[in-house]
Amino acid sequence: MSGAPAGGDLVSWFCTYTPLEILDAAGLVPARRFGDPASLESSDTLLHPAICPYVRACLAEEMAGGGPHHPAVFVNSCDGMRRLYDAWKDRFRDDLVYLVDLPRNTGAGAERLLSLEFCRLARALAGLTGTEVTAEGLQEAAHAREERRLAYLAAADGTSGETRLRLAMGFHAPAPDGMPAGLGGEDEGGGVPVVLTGNLLNPAGLVAGLDRAGARVAWIDLCNGDRAFATSTLPEGEDLDGLFASLARKYLERHPCARMADAGRRHDLLVEAVRETGARGVVYASLKFCDAYLYDFPAVQEKLGSEGIPVLRLESDYADGHAGQVLTRVEAFLEMLD
Amino acid sequence: MGLVESIRDRFADRLEPSTFRSRFFWKTAESLARSPLNRPQWKADRVSLSHFLAITRDAYLGKGPVVWCNLLVPSELVLGLGCIPFYPEMAAAVVASAGMGPRFIDRATEAGFSPDACSFHRCTLGLSLEGFMPEPAMLLAVNYPCDSAPLSFAFCADIFGAPQVTVDIPLPGRRDGRRLLAAQLGETAARLASFSGRRGHEIERGLAKAIDLSNQALHHLHEVEQIRKRDDCTLDGVDAMGGISVLYGSLGSRAGADFYRLLARELRERGCAGGDSIRLMWMHIKPWYRQGIFGTLARHGARLVCEEYTHATWGTMDPRDPYDSLAAKLESHFLVGPVERRASHLATLAEEYRVDGAIHYNHWGCRQSCGGAALVKQALQARGVPTLILDGDCVDEREYQEGQISTRLEAFLESLDSRARPA
Repeated sequence: MSGAPAGGDLVSWFCTYTPLEILDAAGLVPARRFGDPASLESSDTLLHPAICPYVRACLAEEMAGGGPHHPAVFVNSCDGMRRLYDAWKDRFRDDLVYLVDLPRNTGAGAERLLSLEFCRLARALAGLTGTEVTAEGLQEAAHAREERRLAYLAAADGTSGETRLRLAMGFHAPAPDGMPAGLGGEDEGGGVPVVLTGNLLNPAGLVAGLDRAGARVAWIDLCNGDRAFATSTLPEGEDLDGLFASLARKYLERHPCARMADAGRRHDLLVEAVRETGARGVVYASLKFCDAYLYDFPAVQEKLGSEGIPVLRLESDYADGHAGQVLTRVEAFLEMLD
Repeated sequence: MGLVESIRDRFADRLEPSTFRSRFFWKTAESLARSPLNRPQWKADRVSLSHFLAITRDAYLGKGPVVWCNLLVPSELVLGLGCIPFYPEMAAAVVASAGMGPRFIDRATEAGFSPDACSFHRCTLGLSLEGFMPEPAMLLAVNYPCDSAPLSFAFCADIFGAPQVTVDIPLPGRRDGRRLLAAQLGETAARLASFSGRRGHEIERGLAKAIDLSNQALHHLHEVEQIRKRDDCTLDGVDAMGGISVLYGSLGSRAGADFYRLLARELRERGCAGGDSIRLMWMHIKPWYRQGIFGTLARHGARLVCEEYTHATWGTMDPRDPYDSLAAKLESHFLVGPVERRASHLATLAEEYRVDGAIHYNHWGCRQSCGGAALVKQALQARGVPTLILDGDCVDEREYQEGQISTRLEAFLESLDSRARPA
């Protein structure tokens, strides 16, 4: 699971609302961290056990590592992520540990707030690397990210759930030659088509279990899955301020995490994904202690019910030692869909 | 069996949503509150009880547009625009204190809400699903102190078909942050005014009056704080935490100002309680149902001399500039932003109130407080303040482990006692 960078001008990031284009344009190599699900208890000294296991796994992995600790950019997207920032800053106080604010709303005020945040981040990174973020640099980085996004979608087409999720995570990792190699592309054929939705999952756990049970995961609406690749964030504009404003708008309008204010839009997009992929049902699987998805589920269930779309609720502790036990439930659900 | 338990067992299951929409019910409740049988610890409590009974009655009887608010929504904004603020998190505390939390928490669980979510919000969701909440014209949340309120309000907004507004408080210290926040408050005010029918000067006058009353309350609150810092005063934190609802839910009303004025006066009159107790700070919120913690503290001669949530963090506001003033108030809150602000607030309290130790009550499902508890403890202990973290639940009494909590608390108090009185 480790996405731990090995050296160079790497910068760690954690939330899909991180503006990677700005990190690229500042001359850094962004590497998403996925933490170590097997050792998350070792973070208990700083984080309560009833905090998101992804957050705990990330901290546990960094605490176990001897360093060097790279700069880290966090997003103020949820209580768990803010607490990770707090713990990281406390533990690795000599490094750049940066928190980007993120509004819950969309619209002009929220765009202004986020574009100012992007501008502030660019200045902080320039102070670290000595590389100013310019309009040209940002456009170039954004075009490269867009190519990468399209390459992912092409590569992910027809893959199984686990492969697809690993591929998406690969595209979140640093790739000096531009694209991750050796993943994806194979057509794994049959199975009962489902859409997987939730926050962030371990590809080796529940997702692999879905494959084994006979599901064909046609769309992965997860934070470490297709969600980040679903829409373009290519900004429009000539000068830097205009580009930051456009980038802010694109990030706020992307397929939303359940923490965003407009839950109805997220639910509509989910139904749309089911219709477009021909999925017969939805698997709603999320990590424990993630409030955004704990509170979201009953409304999703109601929405899907009103559309005649069956849904199965699963929960993950990120390590997913219990994945085998839920296989029976998944099989029963797929049988019902078939 | 006590009177409360007896009443609860006889009547709790028979409570119907229509009960709270009956004028007779509210007349009875108000008569009981005024009755000589009701003898609150403090005269000021009579003011707050009357105020909350009146606005809750008005909310249920539909006497004005009801606006659901989470804890940090400034009541001045809602009251100043002629709406009725209703704080569901406070309603959950009242339900828990009546011993009825489990009924509504279980209802939320049946509807698909996870037991890992905050029980304040599961309780309010259950109350909403059962029809026990007053119908909102709008649900208004700010993005702090926690994720739960904006998320649970979204579900309730669907139940009632009412609009939901979430205000994004920018991270503290950001350029233009205050201006962006003030603009959101201005937009929110326009929506509130559309419900109450206030226009132009009525809006300005209403907000100016609310800000003025809030400033009066702040002035008297500062007096209360000074008295509590100076003396071993008779106001115990267990009672003071009852005033959280006043600080967060009634500023901008005459009752808010009167409450703190009366409390300051009574503290001066009652004088010092004696100075040989173990002085403790309480962090996060107390469990609202009956439990043994505070009895244990009393047995060990320990007193809560300050609490995390009962202090002002803002300065005097300008009635002519309400949105900027309220934005400054919101920005100043210690729960906005990184945990270091909270830790700093608590360290300052610990120093100013000369505490011997601190207790952090971890409310299950509260990512913002539990999540930062270890860092808060670290910050306090670095300043020489022994700190105990207790895991429990503020609303769901079934999650309260009496034996475990009692054992840990006793050991902590004994260690503090031995520090204070070395052999």
